Amino acid sequence: MEIYVLVKQVPDPEAIVKVKGETELEIENKYFTNFFDEIAIEAGLKVREKFGGKLTALSVDNRRADALRRAIAMGADEAVQITDPALEGSDPFGIARALAAFLQGKPFDLILAGRQAMDDDAGTVGLAVAEALGIPHVHGILSLEVDPTERVVRVAREIEGGKEILASPLPALLTCQKGLSVPRIPQVMNVMKAMKAQIKKVDLASLGIDPTEVGPQGAKVRVRRYFPPPRRAAVRMIKEDFPENVKTLVRLLREEAKVI
Amino acid sequence: MPGEIWVFAEQQEGKVKKIALELLSAGALFAEKTGQPLGALLLGSELKGATESLIPFADKLYIWDDPELAVYSSDTYLPAMAALVRERGPSVLLGGATSTGKDLFPRLAAHLRTGYAPDCTALTIEDDGSLVATRPLFGGKVFSEVTFSDDRPQMALVRSNTFSVDPNPKRSAEVFSVPFVSESARAKKKVLAREKAPDERVDISEAEIVVAAGRGIKAPENFRIIEELAAVLKASVGTTRATVDEGWRELKDQIGKSGKNISAKLYMAFGISGAIHHVLGIGTCKTVVAVDSDPNALIFNYADYGIVGDLFQIVPALTEELKKTLTDK
Amino acid sequence: MALDFTFTEEQEFFRQTIRDTVNRLIMPRVAELDEKEEFPWDLWKEFAALGYLGLRHEEKYGGMNTDTITQMIFYEELARGSCGFAMSVTMQILMGTYFIARFGNEEIKQRILVPAIRGEKIGTICFTEDQSGSDLGGTRTLATKVDGGWRINGRKQWITNGPIADFATVMATVDPKLGLKGLNFFLVERKTEKRDGFVSGQRLHKLGSRCSVTGELVLDNVFVPEENFLGEEIGKGVQYAGEILNEVRVMTAMNALAIAKGAMDDAKGYAQNRIAFGNPISKYQLIREKFAKYWAWYEAAWNYAYKCAWMIQNRLPCTNECMMAKYFATEMCMYAVEEAMRIYGGNAFCTEYPPQRYWRDAKFLLYGGGTHEVLCDYLGRVFLKD
Repeated sequence: MEIYVLVKQVPDPEAIVKVKGETELEIENKYFTNFFDEIAIEAGLKVREKFGGKLTALSVDNRRADALRRAIAMGADEAVQITDPALEGSDPFGIARALAAFLQGKPFDLILAGRQAMDDDAGTVGLAVAEALGIPHVHGILSLEVDPTERVVRVAREIEGGKEILASPLPALLTCQKGLSVPRIPQVMNVMKAMKAQIKKVDLASLGIDPTEVGPQGAKVRVRRYFPPPRRAAVRMIKEDFPENVKTLVRLLREEAKVI
Repeated sequence: MPGEIWVFAEQQEGKVKKIALELLSAGALFAEKTGQPLGALLLGSELKGATESLIPFADKLYIWDDPELAVYSSDTYLPAMAALVRERGPSVLLGGATSTGKDLFPRLAAHLRTGYAPDCTALTIEDDGSLVATRPLFGGKVFSEVTFSDDRPQMALVRSNTFSVDPNPKRSAEVFSVPFVSESARAKKKVLAREKAPDERVDISEAEIVVAAGRGIKAPENFRIIEELAAVLKASVGTTRATVDEGWRELKDQIGKSGKNISAKLYMAFGISGAIHHVLGIGTCKTVVAVDSDPNALIFNYADYGIVGDLFQIVPALTEELKKTLTDK
Repeated sequence: MALDFTFTEEQEFFRQTIRDTVNRLIMPRVAELDEKEEFPWDLWKEFAALGYLGLRHEEKYGGMNTDTITQMIFYEELARGSCGFAMSVTMQILMGTYFIARFGNEEIKQRILVPAIRGEKIGTICFTEDQSGSDLGGTRTLATKVDGGWRINGRKQWITNGPIADFATVMATVDPKLGLKGLNFFLVERKTEKRDGFVSGQRLHKLGSRCSVTGELVLDNVFVPEENFLGEEIGKGVQYAGEILNEVRVMTAMNALAIAKGAMDDAKGYAQNRIAFGNPISKYQLIREKFAKYWAWYEAAWNYAYKCAWMIQNRLPCTNECMMAKYFATEMCMYAVEEAMRIYGGNAFCTEYPPQRYWRDAKFLLYGGGTHEVLCDYLGRVFLKD
């Protein structure tokens, strides 16, 4: 099976993010592979282990290839980095355009991605790639069964109040949710391999993409300003002893906050 | 001004979701401000009840009623909606940030080559019809205000409880039955089954009131007292990563990074220390109450009301007090 | 190009990978490892399965022979988790197996080194005795030449992994009167029915690094065959020891850096949230000074330690430098763990909070690789020589 996994390098969830100017963010220099993308890589590796084939990690990044190296360290066969200055400032649709252009015409069976990236939390690129390639997608899968002979996958996705079980023909794009797999800890042999790996680099010209379709010119939404999360007023500690404090709380929720 | 303000009126089993009514209520204000009509899109099967409930909320009601649409799938909903968008040219298309919305809108926006803002916590419209959306980034560490290009419609998904439902909607929608044309040639997904979660409660991401307990609950069976409190408040029960990792509660109830964001009217946290991953998930809750035995617990920095105390004492007493208060109105 | 103070992208990637591995495997269990004072076999096996025990050994034995700087990155990141676990792992990777790999014949390498790299056999090195630690010349464990091999008698103390070790590199003297020139290394395995060897003596209960089990090894007239003599000539034990001492000292510096950073990162969180007199204590000057001083010293110690790693990697003579790297990093660490305790105020005294564990774990750094008093005497002498 030909499997592709879309990966993104994002700031570590513990990294400090501050609003610097109206349109500028200061992000602590701690990066890691997007959590949901690791889940996707693991899911892809399991499929390859079961049915054979090749797993390629794919990323759009102008600065780092760590997420791709991570994929190799976990066991991916190959990694490709789409990089081009014109991609700077792209919105998710621009990124998706680049990824889809690379994948167009390739004999893929399954494309996996994380359900969202933990920087922009947009959950858009995967679905936009599916649309560009004209293949079915399922968003946020919790389980995956593959039938390569019937060319069908059977997945579960979370919906409000429960789960939905779906079947989709292949090729398909699936975005992965927590619970689908537990990403393996890379073996040091593969870590060494990843360190030395030659990551194939691809630019927009080789993809046949017009620079105006991506980057800030191609962006359909723009951030006008950033601001820190609204701070709550200082907490009102209810200092009475039990059981008066409970009575006071109920009264405040009723009369002051008016939420019950 | 040409164009219409549209809201995707998501329905489940023939009943329109509350988020759709919230968005129609907000949409009504947008429509008035910009002089555009307000439209609702309803797709499904056997939609008589749903249709009636929507009539007071919109000026136009576009309905696709077909058995093939009974269960949501992007394979059917997307082409249907895209065709009408191209025909009518709405300026705005809103939807709820639900599992359906998140599955449909990004792909639809890509298909229409138009702008899309996911998971918005606030939304306004300028006089000239441009939408301005506010949405969290980095799990809520930073917020951004987003504007759209000239492409239309401007699409956005909005979180539950961002807007309130108009208690007295006064419109009277004109109903348009849109023929559904099935594209059988296209390879499609098939929904095989739906498994209902054992508890019937509203998902925490949609609930108006959420009560939650963390590590301080000490044992899974102690969640019983939280469930009893939830029953009195008609609330949903959430939890933190600690209890999910222990296997005491399910991932679907986890609040915070890698779990869910909640935007409840009232959120009550019991025995939750307030680690950053959790508190970023509750940022947009209107009123937060925290109860913990540690006076230095970080959760108090993110709460409106706090009690330092033993949750095993306070929760049952709170349940009793609420039973009394809520019955005698 | 001279003076490039950056790591390569590959080295940064390696560091991130180890950090993530430590976060996932070790961090959740740090308090438990400290409390139980038991060797964590399950964690050991998981770690071995990932292949890290072969970090310093040839591929043909199952290792992957990385360079010194990569190894030091590994030691630094590993020590950020559990200090005790790090001690056992580094013993296995470095001191416990170095002389086997260097001098053992092929049969010994297959029987001992290969399973050691897989984590199936646990190794250690034995220097210290009752009355001799830094003073190697005071070694009394005696190796007597006999027909076909050697007989070794003595008791070795403070042996990391001792109670669970399957094999050990033992430093013994052929004649106490020769002093340092009488010292040699021997491979001794644990006594079984079929083979003579060491037995465990007393188990030591330590203040810190508690999940690394430490104890006495007793060599009671143990016979070892000739091939167990680890060396090319008799009397070169100290010279051979010198081959790894530089690495051992920089590795110890890495431990010190990791403990110091752990303690002060944690103390930082505490200081930012602990309110006293209406403000978080991080707003007060005397608290700020502690962090400022730590930060400056930490940066200096960290950069110097990696410079020494670079010198080792480039085969530059650096005995004094590595001693200083260990000395400086450790002294900085002593300051950091002490101040972390002070920042926590009364809460530091409670075992529920982390500072006391960093403080306890850090103390052994003062002795490992030579006590500071001995190092200073040596370094002072060298400095004042001309």
